[in-house]
Amino acid sequence: MPLAVLCAWLATVPSAGAHRVDEYLQATRLSIDLERVDLEIDLTAGAAMASKVFAWIDTNRDGEISAAEGEAYALEMLRSIVLIVDGRPVRIALVDTSFPKFRDMSLGVGTIRLRATARFPAAGAGLHQVSFLNTHRPESSVYLVNALVPANPRIQLSDPQRDHAQYGLTLDFRVMAGATTPLYRAFALLELVMAGWLLLRFGYVLAYDVARRLRPSRLVVN
Amino acid sequence: MRMSRPAWTARSLALGAAAFSAALFLVFPVTAESQQRAGLPPAAVSATTGSVTARVVDAANAFLASLNAAERTKCTFDFNSKQRTGWSNLPTGIFQRNGLRFGDMTSRQRAAALALVAAALSREGYQKVTDIMNGDEVLKNAGGGRTGGRPGGRGPGGGIRFGLDEYYIALLGPPSTTTPWMIQFGGHHLAINVTVVGSNSIMTPSLPAAQPAKYTLNGQTIRPLGHENDKGFALINALNAAQQKRAILNYAVTDLVLGPGNDGKVIQPEGILASELDARQQSMLLDVAHEWVGILNDEAAAAKMAEIKANLPKTYFAWSGSTKNGELAYYRVQGPTVIIEYAPQQGDVDHIHTIYRDPTNDYGATLVKP
Repeated sequence: MPLAVLCAWLATVPSAGAHRVDEYLQATRLSIDLERVDLEIDLTAGAAMASKVFAWIDTNRDGEISAAEGEAYALEMLRSIVLIVDGRPVRIALVDTSFPKFRDMSLGVGTIRLRATARFPAAGAGLHQVSFLNTHRPESSVYLVNALVPANPRIQLSDPQRDHAQYGLTLDFRVMAGATTPLYRAFALLELVMAGWLLLRFGYVLAYDVARRLRPSRLVVN
Repeated sequence: MRMSRPAWTARSLALGAAAFSAALFLVFPVTAESQQRAGLPPAAVSATTGSVTARVVDAANAFLASLNAAERTKCTFDFNSKQRTGWSNLPTGIFQRNGLRFGDMTSRQRAAALALVAAALSREGYQKVTDIMNGDEVLKNAGGGRTGGRPGGRGPGGGIRFGLDEYYIALLGPPSTTTPWMIQFGGHHLAINVTVVGSNSIMTPSLPAAQPAKYTLNGQTIRPLGHENDKGFALINALNAAQQKRAILNYAVTDLVLGPGNDGKVIQPEGILASELDARQQSMLLDVAHEWVGILNDEAAAAKMAEIKANLPKTYFAWSGSTKNGELAYYRVQGPTVIIEYAPQQGDVDHIHTIYRDPTNDYGATLVKP
């Protein structure tokens, strides 16, 4: 579904109540690298929402969140996210999960933590774009989404664009040209030294040859 | 014109060198990375005079001397233990703190603990801390507040507990004027982390918060974070329309973005750059930042403020929400060595969370080598 259509649909969703007590806070931080976007997603249900959220996850109703139930919920949540890099949707893979106890959730402070990553073909030097949209449980949620300053200094982010409720975020990022590893830099330097030496050698031979041609030719008398 | 062989050799050498330089530039362009590195501010250090550290160490030793062996064991941790990052703004019953609980101390021990906190902080900072603590006692007596949870409900030890008894103090590492150590003091709506390294003191990360944001005590109206609120609103209203357009985010921010558990993270800055503000507005921005920085003792705060001022051209001010004082609004100050967030909770202006971080020097990272 195109992002614009999703945004339009989300705009029709009634906003949640004014108090976190009855809200589901979904906070996402995006970390952009040359070949992937890492997602840190923290989900905190307000105290009045806890039973409802717990029931979404504890599908066998035994009062515990099993590993399988946790993973199933995490995957369901990730399916609600649309991540597009340079105009192409990218698949988000679950990396890790952690679920709080129901007691903590019922107090409105237990946070579900999901960690995921999305890989894409390496972004070359130049301008690129990432779009993120979270459509998970919009009827009862409030959202935060932010991009972290990239660890890779070759990547520079522009000002992110968001909708008012922070369902989504779009930002351009520029990949600067440059070497990536010390080994690469060492080889590049070696190549430069060799190129420089060849240039000097070529310049010298050329100059010597030209100079010799410009000299008046000697008459050879037998 | 004829040239000698040495002259031609020199010219070809120069030509080769120029070509080599050009090739070098093409392969190693001057990237933003290298420019940033060159322009990096010096390591974020808040220098205090040795006498301040000595005073804090004396206060810490006096507090430790007031404890018996079991209490000392409960209160002290290794400097590099997990306790360093094990702080929270949540009340007892939801978050279990380590350290010595005020409710378990004698009045003499409490006085010694508070004397230590006072020695590490400024007069205004200590007042702010006690206003936050007294506010929590008011919250306890009011039954927990509208958005603060339910006292006496579930939780270890009989449920959520508020009030003055529920503040904890812990010392990480032996108090010293030379080696690193740390004072950790907090409870509901308060987390003060002061790392002391020689003559330096660092108070990041820390989380001062308030609920209620306004209360009456002994006939006096107290607003623990009143200056933070009022100075923020004064600054946003001091901006002209064009500046406000740059500063005000077009989206709602419903909570702290870099609250507890987000150590070391730096979000992409947004809002208006301080370099786009005039001198008076810049001064107002520094005054906003001082509300957090100035919690720490005056000498350390002055050094930190000098650092923030030096980085002011690279510092952003972002706002979300109403510009009318008294209504809901979130704001953020973000520079190379400071991140401050002010965030009303759950649509309630009577319940404020804030965070103060230094992404380069939380817990004195630049001074404490592993």
